[in-house]
Parts: sequence; C-alpha cells; structure tokens
Amino acid sequence: MMAGEMRKSALMAIDEINGSDEFDFTFAAHLRDPGGVVAAYHTACDDLIREEQVDHIVGCYTSASRKQVIPIVERTERLLWHPARYEGFESSDNVIYVGAAPNHNVVPLVRHMLDQIASDVFCIGSNYVWTWETNRVVREIVTSAGGRILAERLLELGETAVDHIVSEIIERKPPAVFNTLVGESSYSFIRALHEATMRAGLAIPMLSCSLCEPELDLIGSVASVGCVASSAYFESIEGPANRAFVARWKARHGADSNPCVDGLSTYVCVMLLARAIRRAGSAEVGAVRRAAANHRYDSPQGPVWVDPDNNHCFLTPRLARSVPGCQFKIFWEADAPERPDPYLSNLDLTAVGTRLERSNDAMTKRSNHLRIVK
Amino acid sequence: MTRPSPFSVRGRRALVVMREEREISIVRRQLNRLGMTVAEHDPAEVPPPDENVDVIVMDADSIPIKSDPARAWKVHAPIIALIGTETPSRLKWLLDLQPASFLIKPLRSAGLYTALVVAFDSAQRRIEEAAHLERLEDRIRSRRMVLAAVLQTMRAHDLSEPDAFRLIRQTAMRHRTTVEQLSAEIITTGGMPNRTTRTA
Repeated sequence: MMAGEMRKSALMAIDEINGSDEFDFTFAAHLRDPGGVVAAYHTACDDLIREEQVDHIVGCYTSASRKQVIPIVERTERLLWHPARYEGFESSDNVIYVGAAPNHNVVPLVRHMLDQIASDVFCIGSNYVWTWETNRVVREIVTSAGGRILAERLLELGETAVDHIVSEIIERKPPAVFNTLVGESSYSFIRALHEATMRAGLAIPMLSCSLCEPELDLIGSVASVGCVASSAYFESIEGPANRAFVARWKARHGADSNPCVDGLSTYVCVMLLARAIRRAGSAEVGAVRRAAANHRYDSPQGPVWVDPDNNHCFLTPRLARSVPGCQFKIFWEADAPERPDPYLSNLDLTAVGTRLERSNDAMTKRSNHLRIVK
Repeated sequence: MTRPSPFSVRGRRALVVMREEREISIVRRQLNRLGMTVAEHDPAEVPPPDENVDVIVMDADSIPIKSDPARAWKVHAPIIALIGTETPSRLKWLLDLQPASFLIKPLRSAGLYTALVVAFDSAQRRIEEAAHLERLEDRIRSRRMVLAAVLQTMRAHDLSEPDAFRLIRQTAMRHRTTVEQLSAEIITTGGMPNRTTRTA
C-alpha cells in the first residue's frame, strides 16, 4: 500500500511543480517499481542512472531497499531522496533523509507513555530491523525511568495469526502495548486486540509510531479508534498549507482518499528537490545538496529543512489519538521543528528517566499501580 | 609448537554465510584468488558443525537477530562479520558472537585479505590467551594445596611461613617441577618427598 501512496504523492508534487510559474524547469518522472523485492532495487537504480541518466532518485520505503540503493548512488554521485521514517544509525552524503529519525517519533511517544500512561509496557512488533531497533530504544528509555518491558513478542513480516499474543495480553493485562507491527500483521492485531479487550471489559492503551490514516480505514472504523500514534504528519494538522494540500489531494485522488505521512513525506522530497534545484540554478548533485542545506520549506507538515550535519530533516514531532472517521486528533506537538538525531546521540536518558520522579502528575499515575492488599 | 602465520591463508577453509549473490560472488572470487576453499551455507538454516571450517564470513544483516539460527551461532571458528546496518540492536547481537574482524558493506575486493589476517591472528591470540588463562586458573585452584603444604612444612620442620615456602620453592626447582605439583606430593606423601634422582 505504501509504495502506491508514495508514488501518487510524488507524481502529484511533480505535476504541481511542472504547472507552477515559480519554477523555470520541469521534472520528467522515470518510474520503476521493484515491487518490494529487495535485490530488484539495485537493478532498478542502476538502470535509472545508466539508461535514463537520472540525477535524483525519490523512493525506497524499507531500510533493506535503501541499503541496496546507497552503494550505487554513492559510487555514481547521485542523490536518493528518502521519504520514509527509519531506525536511524545511518548518514550517507548521497541520501537526503526526509522521513522521521527516531528522536522525532519514538522518543516523544515513549516519553508520553511514561508521563501519562504507564512505565511498564508490552512490546509487539514485526521481526525486522525497525522493530529491533525501536524496541531497543523503548527498552533503554523505559528501564532508565524505572519501568519494565513486560514482554517483547515478534511476528514474521506478513504474519496475521495473532491470537496467541492477544490472549497473552488479555491474560497479563499490561498497562500499555507498544506496537511496531507493520502492514497486515498490525491491522489483524489491532482488530483482534480491540475485540478481545471489548469482550474482557479492558482498556489497554496501544501506541504506534507508524500508524497512518489510510491504515485506520484498512483496520476498520470501529477497531481503529483510540490508538495513540506518533508522527511528523497527520491529515488533521491545522493551518492553511495543510488544508490546501488536503483539498488538492482530495480533488486529485477522490474525496474518500486520505493522505498519509509517507505520501506527504514523498511530496516533501520532491518539493525540497525542486526548491534546491531552483536555488542552485542546476540539478548537479553537489550544487543541489549545498542548496538544500538549511533551505526552509513551509510544507503541509510545517517548516522542513535539511540539516547539513547529517542530511536528515528538521521535522515537527506530533502525537495524536485515532478518532471515529479514520482520522487522528492531535493532542501534542513540539513547539518548533526538532533537529534530526539519527544516532540518538543527544538523547539524555537521565532527563527522561528522572521525569517520573519529578513530575507530580506522573507520581499520582504511578501510585495508581499500588493497591493495598489485605 | 610454531605459531601459524596469519598471513598465509592458502588452503584454509572458509564458510560463507551470505544471502545476496552479488556479494557472494565478490567474496568467492577473492577467497579463490587467495587459494582458500569455499563452502556456502544458507543463513536461514541453523549453523553447521564447524570442525571443518577455519573462518566464517557472515553477512550480519542476513540473519534475523531474534530467530533460532541467530541464537545458534555460537561457534569456535573466527567470524568475519559483514556489516550493513549499524544499529545498536544489530551490533549487540554481533558482539555476542565475538567477531574476529569485520568489513563494512558494500564489499569490494580490497579489504577481505586484511579481514582474514586480522581474524586468523585474533583467533590464534584467543587460543593462546585461553591457554594462558587456564594455566592461571590452575594455579589459583592449587593455592589451597600450596597453603596446606606450607603449613605442613612449617609444622614438620619448625619453620616460619616464608622459610617453609622458600624450602618448597627451592625443592621444586631442584626437582624441576612446579610449586603446585610439589605441594600436591607433600600433601599425598605426608612430607617433603625424598627424591634422589636429579634430572639436572
């Protein structure tokens, strides 16, 4: 699904640029669809660069595919504009990372959990690098705050048999569930957990840093309500830039269609690229990279710009709760775009860790776990 | 025993645990150039017994870190880790394997020889260190025995503790044995052994 959303968004951005007076050039899109087959990304990019003489490549959703492309763009001095959030710990000169770094999505979500929900958490995720690394960060923050990882359950990518894990959750009643499942696994899990908690009369908060609007629709209008999500973009962001974007999106893709963070991020990739080319007066990679650095773009998700220190973007972290109508209601956003920290080298665990002790509010929350047993 | 040179890699056997054919072919060609024999192993499978392997070239990204094969990789042959993902969760798994050396992907023909030499050298050092450690541990274990022998000698010869130890050490040197071994003899025979044969 994401590949389709990303392609739609890239083409929309290209059409807007080509139809705009603000740019004295047009983009010609060369499309390749490796279809999620990891080895095919290498071939597709090789072909784009050699045959089509492409300078800039927009795409890749998974880290596995990006790792295929990086050697080629580095060897041939091209730029990959990467829209997806990822687990961090990478910084190629030939990639512009437009998706969220872990400090943009994982850290605020865990912090919110510790402050407002619980310090003990049950983790479930898909068995691949993004979950492994996200869980590691969750574990590090939670344990340094005195909380516990109650379980870490993994499902193979695409696996939809989730009942055994849902049963375990109902039995153990964790105060929070941190979900890093992706795709169908996640939808099946959220549906099954919703049904089981309803039946058992439980309310177990579920947190995700990947859930987006089109996925709420796929999960179902009832089961998808009440999830806590962390993202740099939600369709419900206020402000004229996003309202206009959503209107253009719906005009183009239908009133029932909803933009999502990965699509929007792809749109932002193309826009950042166009603006950098305009500023550089050339599409040459070195000039574009220099021009993109610190060049602010007021995007539908707010101001975005590339941090030349690590080629990742300043983004505004946001937290939201899913509501009826397959939408998210934003309840927190950072005061300003946050500097990307792909290696989490500025994560101050002691600050996050002592938060529980310092905050009276959290202390009360915490004491709720203590019951007098006679 | 002469120390095998880490620089001579000809004839050594490599097990290649990798997924991508393009990278496998780089490694295979380079190992063949160096005169090594190459066997391949599917990363999805549990590890094979490693008695016929001198070095393992392993694509760390090809093994899911939370899987049965991942937990089963506890082998004696030195491992050269090929690293594409530098996330701490991945590196943590790798550290538990104690890789002897590593290479960063994408692979080139340069670098593999250095990785092999470092791997063979550090594997050899590891063997030597393990042997050294075992000797030290043996000595620690026999300290009780030495102490008992010293006490016995103190009583039998009416000596102070330093003098008793000096006597044991001098006797051990004369007999060309260790303090620990002589102490064991003192305890089993109930006194200083009265050896007449000198090996010197």
